[in-house]
Amino acid sequence: MSNTASYWHLFRNGIFGENPVFRLALSLCPAVAVTSGLKNGFLMGIAVLFVQTMANVTTSLIRKFIHPKVRIPSYMFIIATWVTVTDLAMAAFARDVYAQMGLYIKLIVAFAIILSRSELFASKNKVIPSFFDGLGMGMGFLLALVIIGFFRELLGKGSLWGHPVVDTKPLLIMILPAGGFFAMGILMGFFNWVDIKFFGGTGAGGAGGH
Amino acid sequence: MKDMFKITLSLVAMFVAAGIIMTTVFARTAPIIKVAKEREEKEARQKLMPDADDIVEAGTWEPFGKHAKYFTAKKGGEAIGYLISTYGKGYSSYINILIAVGKDLKIKEIKILSHGETPGLGDEIDKNYFRKQFDGKSPEQIELVKIEGTDKIQAISGVTISSRAVTNGVKEAMEFLKGKYGVSG
Repeated sequence: MSNTASYWHLFRNGIFGENPVFRLALSLCPAVAVTSGLKNGFLMGIAVLFVQTMANVTTSLIRKFIHPKVRIPSYMFIIATWVTVTDLAMAAFARDVYAQMGLYIKLIVAFAIILSRSELFASKNKVIPSFFDGLGMGMGFLLALVIIGFFRELLGKGSLWGHPVVDTKPLLIMILPAGGFFAMGILMGFFNWVDIKFFGGTGAGGAGGH
Repeated sequence: MKDMFKITLSLVAMFVAAGIIMTTVFARTAPIIKVAKEREEKEARQKLMPDADDIVEAGTWEPFGKHAKYFTAKKGGEAIGYLISTYGKGYSSYINILIAVGKDLKIKEIKILSHGETPGLGDEIDKNYFRKQFDGKSPEQIELVKIEGTDKIQAISGVTISSRAVTNGVKEAMEFLKGKYGVSG
């Protein structure tokens, strides 16, 4: 298998084979909390994508210097550093975006998915594969939040990205936390069904596993 | 023993490196953030007092141990109202609130300048249906209640701490203004 193909596998693995929300079922708490609207989900997803990729690359770069007994605090510190840097840089250079996203960025420090990719992948692999793993996982998370946010906002508020699209009485429950679990559960089931039906239940044809 | 030394060294090296990175970024961004914030606050003041042609700083005060400023809004040299910045201690942050007050010491409007409350929950305080409750209220009416249909401030369900923080911050500011500009005697 050539390098390009395996990078593509890693990337696809994050989006489908081991989608953080639908397949690994990690970071579900923020995934429910911020997906009451398409816009919230998208902004959170972008923030996670960036931090996930940077944290993966950094962890992989210094993986030989991290003492195994203190690896978790070390990963946490890498993540916290990137979150702080992103937060400050955004507050200084992108005020408009920051006004929208500032709240989400700080939450990322405690995201299970980022810590778990540091532990499971980046600490055992070289920099470039770690980069693609981070990119894939981040994209997977982003897509999951966008899909959930899309359905919840459409059904719960009758709007998309804050603009009204259907003019009926909305299903209020969809934007409440319970609706988040409904949407997530149904989509999770759908992903599993697609997997079994078209890929034989191997997670998108057994992409880059570990 | 040797292991202990290695672990400590590994952690210390990482903390120092991360510390340097964060300090550098902070030192570079802090002045830019400060300027941008001051500009935004100035715009917010003007927006809350659209009639004023001059807003002058009247002094500072300390709500909940934080430093905040208050201003007199003037039109043609005549004071038409006050603007006061205040803080409330929320669930995970200090909530910075700007209040526009008329000469009669009734609230014209409040604006949430900044906060770090939970998205989807605590940030409901910045929604119109909560904020607009403060409009036209006198200092005595600023009180958080959990029932509907009063002339007080109704808490958002599930967001009690943040609601209370805003209410307390506003109350504190109104009492301060009352002591300062209220009818003497």
